[in-house]
Amino acid sequence: MNDFSDIEKELRSLRPVRPSAWLFQGVARQLEKSSATAAPAEEKIIRPHWFRFGGLSLGSALAAAAAIFILARLDPFTVERHGPRTAKATPVPAAAAVSSAQFIPDGATRVVYHTQNEGLIFPQGADEPVRRVRSRTKETLQWRNPKTGASLRVTYPSEEVRLIPVSGQ
Amino acid sequence: MKDREEVMEDVTDHQNWKTCFTQLAPGLVLFARQWVRTSADAEDIVQEAFVRFWRTKRDVANKGLLYATVRTVALDLIRKDSRRARREVEASWDTPQAFEPQFEGVDDSQLLLAGAINRLPHEQREVLVMKIWNDLTFAEIGEGLGISQNTAASRYRYALAALKKDLLPQ
Repeated sequence: MNDFSDIEKELRSLRPVRPSAWLFQGVARQLEKSSATAAPAEEKIIRPHWFRFGGLSLGSALAAAAAIFILARLDPFTVERHGPRTAKATPVPAAAAVSSAQFIPDGATRVVYHTQNEGLIFPQGADEPVRRVRSRTKETLQWRNPKTGASLRVTYPSEEVRLIPVSGQ
Repeated sequence: MKDREEVMEDVTDHQNWKTCFTQLAPGLVLFARQWVRTSADAEDIVQEAFVRFWRTKRDVANKGLLYATVRTVALDLIRKDSRRARREVEASWDTPQAFEPQFEGVDDSQLLLAGAINRLPHEQREVLVMKIWNDLTFAEIGEGLGISQNTAASRYRYALAALKKDLLPQ
């Protein structure tokens, strides 16, 4: 038997004040906005402007760069056809060794544009805490064809997490 | 161009959220008032929580989750607003007068009852609000507050007992 039915009845007789019309308008506006601009979750990741290219283009660029890099690495076979493999002992001048289609690595840069100290963590099995520092970087690899002067540059974002041992306070 | 099914789905969704929200909004705002001082702040919390909830769920079958969302948004707001809001919410929990559930057209006896509700401990008051004005089951209340069904039920009973005691003629 419920001893509180009388008080429950009294409570139910209290009616909460109706919310303002602003609330309904606000919800309607936001739901309409969200349905109009429904974006996949992947697009909700906030990236620096220059990161905003599709995964396909990034993949294509990296694949192209890898292909060129492999071609460049395979080029010694081409050289072998024209002469003996004596590069180790007496390297031929670079300009003479490369064909017009050959790209050689020309440089790599790494720009750290954001570093965040995420505080101390205790890794499993470790005796002491370590500090986790997350860095966001932009790495650029560059190849150059010394014969034609053409260059190829691939830039991609990367993220690095470093665990730095923390000594006593 | 949207085909007929998509258009119909949009219309249904639109009608659904309006129907659901019209029914739930007063109770949700009353629930949100527990963490803030003003109705305007409570409405902001409810707006954000409902939109966040509806975008993913599109129905209110899981009421516990809806109230959990309101709670989360309210607590996020407090954290964001940091010290000032924290002071406010602490004050609202400690000071009986700070929590003022707004009820329509209360008479003298109802005014006494509303005052007694204000004096309830916070954890009892939130269960009471969810049960009486939002018609949640104890299972849903438990889910929304992260407590067991039995705890929700006992907090509810304690709240009713405290109200009854408070309203007894001295």
